[in-house]
Amino acid sequence: MALVASLTLAGTGVARTLVVHAASSLSGAFQEFARRFEAAHPGVKVVCNFAGTQQLVRQIEGGAPGDVFASADDRWMTYLERKGQLAGPGVPIARNRLVVITPPGDPGHIRSLADLAVPGRKLVLAARAVPAGGYAREMLLRLGRTSGYSPGYTEAVLRNVVSEEDNVRQVVSKVVLGEADAGVVYRSDVGGPRPPLVRRIEIPDSVNVIATDLMAVLKGSRSPVLTREFLRFVNSEPGRGVLRRHGFETDRATDVAND
Amino acid sequence: MSRTTRTARSHSGRAVAALWAVAASLGAALIVGLMAVPVLALFLRTTPQAVLAHLRSPQVLAALRLSLVTAGSSTLLVVLLGSPVAYLLAFRRFRGRGLVRTLVELPMVLPPTVAGLALLLALGRAGLLGGGLSALGIQLPFTTAAVVVAQVFMSAPFFVTGAAAGFASVDRSHLEVAATLGARAPFTFFHVVLPLRAPALFAGATMAAARALAEFGATITFAGNLPGRTQTMPLAVYMAMESDLEGAVVLAVLLVLMSVALLAVLRSLRPGWSGSADA
Repeated sequence: MALVASLTLAGTGVARTLVVHAASSLSGAFQEFARRFEAAHPGVKVVCNFAGTQQLVRQIEGGAPGDVFASADDRWMTYLERKGQLAGPGVPIARNRLVVITPPGDPGHIRSLADLAVPGRKLVLAARAVPAGGYAREMLLRLGRTSGYSPGYTEAVLRNVVSEEDNVRQVVSKVVLGEADAGVVYRSDVGGPRPPLVRRIEIPDSVNVIATDLMAVLKGSRSPVLTREFLRFVNSEPGRGVLRRHGFETDRATDVAND
Repeated sequence: MSRTTRTARSHSGRAVAALWAVAASLGAALIVGLMAVPVLALFLRTTPQAVLAHLRSPQVLAALRLSLVTAGSSTLLVVLLGSPVAYLLAFRRFRGRGLVRTLVELPMVLPPTVAGLALLLALGRAGLLGGGLSALGIQLPFTTAAVVVAQVFMSAPFFVTGAAAGFASVDRSHLEVAATLGARAPFTFFHVVLPLRAPALFAGATMAAARALAEFGATITFAGNLPGRTQTMPLAVYMAMESDLEGAVVLAVLLVLMSVALLAVLRSLRPGWSGSADA
């Protein structure tokens, strides 16, 4: 199948480009997808644009050309669907969970989740419109409602927010730089082949948010057949393996073809 | 020269001149259009009612207040700290003058996010001077002070270069007269140079103010983004764009109006299009 495809492409002599708009949390995984897809399809170039999901949505709505949209939450995928920007429904490709990170030297003395509420700590979150920011606030709300945490916990933690970043990777970098005392990011951001040097504080599954990453073909795609090929590749078992290696959670692929 | 040649020459001369005129007009129309159409698009996207309504929103007010306070403070600091440097560059020859000149001009050509990263690595808690600053109880990132630092860093060159050029262009005869009358350098500076060159200084300060108002990249990287504390208007526009387009347009319109006001001030201080401060 791949042989026929590449022969066809070679026959036309046209170098094709796939433009992928993917959430910044997916950057490592999708860079690997791009490399592998290009290797399997000579003559095809995969170009990736990584940013906060909300920023990608704004760009796509503004007419940015693209073939693939990969979001870090359901909300923005549904939004684009309602706006008629998708050629097909969003397909879940992975799951993610949140984790609290602190710089290696722990300048903020944050040993536990409770310490996040200590006045004067510097917490960095993604902005509310960013999937990671929405998830983080949801998680903090759930945590505040748990027994063992005082009633004002969530408010106290939110008062410690010193910056609202544009995408989750900016949160990571503020912690890596040692400027923030703590940040709330995805597990995948601190997993993967080259994890950043940070300390992690795990969040109990009972309050943690399960983030869903979805992928869809964009309506304006000029290579829908090739794009669907790319989606199939991401959703295949090897593709899911790539995602798992980058710290995401996936199910095993079923045999059902999903177009 | 024969009559035919003269006519032919003048005809072709006129034709060439006409072609140049058309080309120049097209070029001018493109550039002016490029400037005008986006601004027009901004204004057409909202209504005065929407602007007034949004002016009541706490986030917009916070951004507006923060922008005015920080840009005002930055400009003041830039004038106070930049004038001595401009004086030195204009009137004194010293070793390393070229280096000082380059350093002072550098932020003008540095990409703002690069500047922000550099500021973090220098003045951040984990930065080069971070330990020293922490010992003095100063932690800059994520504070309003950091916004001012970022703005000063990016806008100072605009004042210093303008002021230095202004000082240097003082008619030497004035300085000589003052000297023959027995005036010392400080007196001459404050009572001869400054009054003569005040318009140039104001112009430089206005440019710095405009740059400080527009500051984005260094601010968001070094100071962070928090409504009420570090989210100036350009940052607010950027963040609002992704979730509240109407609010973003209102903020953008306000910024354009403030910038136009600054330009008007600048125009009144620098009659004529010449780059030198000859007012």
